[in-house]
Amino acid sequence: MKKILLMGHPNVGKSAFFNRLAGANVIESNYPGTTVDYTKGYIRLEDEDIEIIDVPGAFSLEPKDKAEEVAVSMLNENKDALVVCVLDASKIERGLYLALEIIEREYRVVLALNMWDVAEDKNIQIDVTKLEQILGVPVVPTIAISGEGIKELVERIKEARAIEVKEIIERVKLTSTPGVEVRGKE
Amino acid sequence: MNRKLIQIYFRILGLVSLAFGIADILATIGGKSICLGILEVPADIFRGGWGGLVILFAGFFYLAGSRDILEVHHFSKVVMGSVLIWLIAGCDIFAMLCESIPGGEEGPWFNTLQGFFATYAPPYKPAIFLLPFSLAVVYYIHKREK
Amino acid sequence: MKLNVDERWDLIDRIAKRTLTFGKYKHTLKDALGDLTIKPLTGIPIAIAVLYGFWSIFCSFAGTLCTDGFFVKLFDGHFLPYMQRIFSNLPGWLYYILIGNPQADNCFEAFGMLTSGLFVAIGVVLPAVFIFYLMFTLLEDVGYIPRLAVLIDTVLHKIGLHGYAVVPTILALGCNVPAVTATRILETRKQRFMMMTLLAIFIPCGAQLGIMQEVIPTSMGWVLLYLLLGYFIFGFIIHKLLPGKSPEILIDVPPYQMPTFRNVRRKLWLRTSCFLKKAVPFVLVGCAIVNILYLAGVINWLSNLLSPLFVGWFGVPKETVGPLIAAFLRKDLAVAQLSVIEMTKYQMITAVVLISIYFPCIATFAMMLKEGWRELLGSLVVLATVVFVYGGLLHLIWRLLGVA
Repeated sequence: MKKILLMGHPNVGKSAFFNRLAGANVIESNYPGTTVDYTKGYIRLEDEDIEIIDVPGAFSLEPKDKAEEVAVSMLNENKDALVVCVLDASKIERGLYLALEIIEREYRVVLALNMWDVAEDKNIQIDVTKLEQILGVPVVPTIAISGEGIKELVERIKEARAIEVKEIIERVKLTSTPGVEVRGKE
Repeated sequence: MNRKLIQIYFRILGLVSLAFGIADILATIGGKSICLGILEVPADIFRGGWGGLVILFAGFFYLAGSRDILEVHHFSKVVMGSVLIWLIAGCDIFAMLCESIPGGEEGPWFNTLQGFFATYAPPYKPAIFLLPFSLAVVYYIHKREK
Repeated sequence: MKLNVDERWDLIDRIAKRTLTFGKYKHTLKDALGDLTIKPLTGIPIAIAVLYGFWSIFCSFAGTLCTDGFFVKLFDGHFLPYMQRIFSNLPGWLYYILIGNPQADNCFEAFGMLTSGLFVAIGVVLPAVFIFYLMFTLLEDVGYIPRLAVLIDTVLHKIGLHGYAVVPTILALGCNVPAVTATRILETRKQRFMMMTLLAIFIPCGAQLGIMQEVIPTSMGWVLLYLLLGYFIFGFIIHKLLPGKSPEILIDVPPYQMPTFRNVRRKLWLRTSCFLKKAVPFVLVGCAIVNILYLAGVINWLSNLLSPLFVGWFGVPKETVGPLIAAFLRKDLAVAQLSVIEMTKYQMITAVVLISIYFPCIATFAMMLKEGWRELLGSLVVLATVVFVYGGLLHLIWRLLGVA
């Protein structure tokens, strides 16, 4: 059976995400580390049952606590799984670190920029199209707690494919920074 | 509405809260509850002592915040003062509610209608008097947002 | 191709430069309120207020409304006489196990499996656990708990833990079983061991709180204060004695948000049902086992054997040995059983404290075993020491005050 791993930092709304996707009984909490035992559920995608696993929150793949150890070993055990990497949209750099680590290990990845509303509150603008171009993986803004963006994310899961980091580095070089662009127009 | 006026309003509310808080604590130390008409200052260590302390804090929050109501960090203190009052008053009302429903040790399962309403008769605890005045902050939050 | 740490951050930096723009960040009222709850000067008063609310609603709902308002009447006035009537033909020993004392006119004194057992589980403990988890879930979903963690971080660092230790600690006030699982959010083995030991010993569970509220409402505050002090004193001692690291953590504070009904309902159900499944069987079986031990004379024998320790060192009547054995199965049961033993107010406080710090209930025991038998053994050693020293100390305090 196909598998989807739901990964991300502690406290970015992974469990809320999972509930939206699988409708199962996961306890969502507002502090990290609630999911120390993992939970799984199932979704149906194009007439196929897919197992979806809520992986404990991890900051990186160099484990520092028990929850991270569990996360890494689950990643290793499911080499052919697709990873939905959940990021906190208001702290996107930190989340990208984990996302890159997963991409480097040649997993198929979909990025969810969760807590999009919080980023908007903080007046942080993210150019999703450009981010998608650079990374080469589907990137979807979401608000898991109210369910916004989840449907789009599910629809785009099939677009995910493994990416070489080299390609990303190349593409970064070809993209201009917004600051430069603005100056050019003036 | 005039900004000065609002500040004076919350300053007075702060002073009254402070006074109520001190009265609560004094009553607790004295070990005797004070009854003034429809006002009852509780004297048990929990509602009087601890609760009084919280009302005292609410007073400080009002006073600290009413210095500059337009600035968000000061205004948030005023809001917090009201939140504390709501918390104490809410707990007092919830306690009355829980008392009013059952019929008492020897009585029937549920309280009689008369007994039910009698529970809500005065005297009331200090926070309940502060409650309507603290609600002004809701109006003001609303106004700020526009 | 894999990158090293620096290369990765470098790449992220470049990606961020091309895709992110930061607008001017204006503080909203929500942010400002959030700040107030974190800064110690304003945060501590707020925490005191929140605790007040927590406690007040807990007592009103569980005590006044559910237990005193309805369940005492239901169980003492209707259920107990009914059970005594329909089972009156049972042989003596079986009647004693199931229904208990035939003269009893309330469910605290009867102490049968189907009378006191059910009364304690459903009438006293269930409402307490329900309201506790409802409020905890609300605080958690609003986003207050992480702020409390930040606030208390400094204090907990002194005993080698950190802010997030409040999560297992508060959870343990509901039930120790999920709390033991929650200790895994702490990083090192030392911290997890400390947390498990401390909460098993010093944190009374919701069941105990509910029953204490019924049995010793006036001195309950002192009992809790004494336990809290023990938590910090012994936490500090264990921290100093044990090798191992207590790393700092960065606490991430999420924004305040409106809790969703769906999530609260689901969590509340999950937690309460977990409690029901674990607790009710233990209360009933515990009741039966204690009754059997009484019938077999084991408890009498033990009380005589241990009476020098109990009477001389702890200053409590030797009858309290029985409840202490019950405490191994369910602590709430034990406190209920204490209530019918004749003793002074101060002896009662000592006995309740002893039961609280004495062995965790068997369900917690099983959970701790799952985390590792060496940890469990370590906890047992600490426990024995604490019971002996801290229980004796309380007796000494009473002596010095001239009340024992």
